[in-house]
Amino acid sequence: MATTQRVRVTSGLGERAMGRIFLAPSFAFMALIALFPVFYAIVISLYDIRGFSQEFIGADNYVRVITDSGFLDAVWNTLVFTVASVSLEFLIGMAFALIMHQVFIGRGLTRAVILIPWVIPTAVAAQVWRYMFDRNPGFVNSVLGTDINWLRDPTWAMVGIISADVWKTAPFVALLLLAGLQTIPKDYYEAAKVDGANALQRFWTITLPLLRPAIVVALLFRTVDALRMFDFAYVFTGYSNSLATLSVYAQRYLVRDPDLGYANALSTVTFVIVMVVGLLFISRMGRHMVGDVARKEK
Amino acid sequence: MAAETVRSGRPVRRPRRRIHPAVVGALKLLGLAVVLLWCLFPFLWMGMTSLRSGSAAITEPNILQGPFDLSNYREVFDQGFQFALRNSLVVASVTTLICVPVAALAGYALARLPLAGKFALLAATLVATLFPPVALVNPMYQMYLRLNEWTGINLLNSYAGMIIPYVALTLPLAIFILATFFAGIPREIEESAKVDGATPFQAFLRVVAPLAAPGVGAAAILTFVYATNEFLLAFSFAPNDLNVQTVPVFVGTFQRVGYENPIGQVMAASVLVSIPLILFALLLQRRIVAGLTSGAVKG
Repeated sequence: MATTQRVRVTSGLGERAMGRIFLAPSFAFMALIALFPVFYAIVISLYDIRGFSQEFIGADNYVRVITDSGFLDAVWNTLVFTVASVSLEFLIGMAFALIMHQVFIGRGLTRAVILIPWVIPTAVAAQVWRYMFDRNPGFVNSVLGTDINWLRDPTWAMVGIISADVWKTAPFVALLLLAGLQTIPKDYYEAAKVDGANALQRFWTITLPLLRPAIVVALLFRTVDALRMFDFAYVFTGYSNSLATLSVYAQRYLVRDPDLGYANALSTVTFVIVMVVGLLFISRMGRHMVGDVARKEK
Repeated sequence: MAAETVRSGRPVRRPRRRIHPAVVGALKLLGLAVVLLWCLFPFLWMGMTSLRSGSAAITEPNILQGPFDLSNYREVFDQGFQFALRNSLVVASVTTLICVPVAALAGYALARLPLAGKFALLAATLVATLFPPVALVNPMYQMYLRLNEWTGINLLNSYAGMIIPYVALTLPLAIFILATFFAGIPREIEESAKVDGATPFQAFLRVVAPLAAPGVGAAAILTFVYATNEFLLAFSFAPNDLNVQTVPVFVGTFQRVGYENPIGQVMAASVLVSIPLILFALLLQRRIVAGLTSGAVKG
């Protein structure tokens, strides 16, 4: 190190200056395009805006948010969707990852195919699933032998978007968990076998604890994505309150019922909810991920 | 097996019933078949439905019942689906071309260069990946209107109106992936370039950047997929002008266009956009997996 310090020439760009210059475009852009609108939204949310008239009304829009039954429905819908879809995706994704980890013939093929649901745009997947559930021609009803109006009945419509989301993202979760499984040394399992641990004990005492970082990352990605979900709910039932998530409800006041002050209050509240949940996750595992870069750097 | 005989000193365990290896193998293959079927069956339904024409497609759930022809595909092209494909390609490519080089600079700075508060910056980047796009919809719409009033530049119903927020939303993940990749390149390689007289910038451009090509590829793919997938902002800022409307908006809002049940046409459009994306996923499989799992499994 001492020799390279001496050799480091002062001509050209110094490392400190280069660091700042390299960082500036990204952080300036993110601050201008992502952070500034958030503050701007807070300012607009203090006004009542209809057409060309603007009136300062303070926190009235926020009072309206927390007493708006449509908003409370949206919070409930988002919560149900998130809890149900993330837990199902985790269970099915874990099962898929364990299967793929066990099998050798055709693993490459499966690993490629498992990306297909992930790469299809969500709005397209939503249309396909919507028509599979639709009463005409009634594909899902004919498979299950039921006669349910999936798109009109609020409970069954929720089941519909949860199924569609689980279909699309359980393979993604499987992929993340499979990558984690492949980092666990085989010796641990051999040693546990010698000690007489059965398959379930091995899973519980070796696989789960060592898979923890991959599990937390998968849950973080999925939970945050589920909380901000727009595509499935909108494509399945439009702006109908029975299925509207937080994103659908906030977007609705932009175009269908233009009320910009209120729309921005809804945006702000949604922003806070998603960020708080995400930060709870990150504060539990973020040090791991950030530390990884910092550690390698030494 | 050898292990079982070693445990002589311990209490004797009931010998475990061994399932025949062929049965185990068959069960594993069955499991694999379930995974494959799970991923692919909606595409079978989508493809068959797109080929069915006439009233049978709307009343008869059996996808094997015809008549079959390509009329749905013709109608989708008559409605301008080719423009939506072009628009998505343009928006996603430009987003990727802007995002990845800018993110590569920041990723390198965060992984390698001396910076004050680096840990805080990395943490901020990670937190920024959580950003919910819906928080941009309403304020940006208002900002675009204001910009139009003041300068005459109209970003609503334009490519730029979508690309600008897409770049901002994809930067954090791209920076994070690239920082992880840069951090994995041995430091000695740069040091030796500097010993040979390269400035820090030359060392980055000539020596380190080419080595980070896999990371750049992974970040580019994830950015591209994000931009082809995005629906909320595209639908809010460019809802129905075919000159700029992207595929998710074209397909996602289709049922509101015609009077008839357009099931066959929606499926034809879905097939047309799925084929290139599926090829994309299969060809770039390794890079995608590397990008998705970077940072997720280490640590």
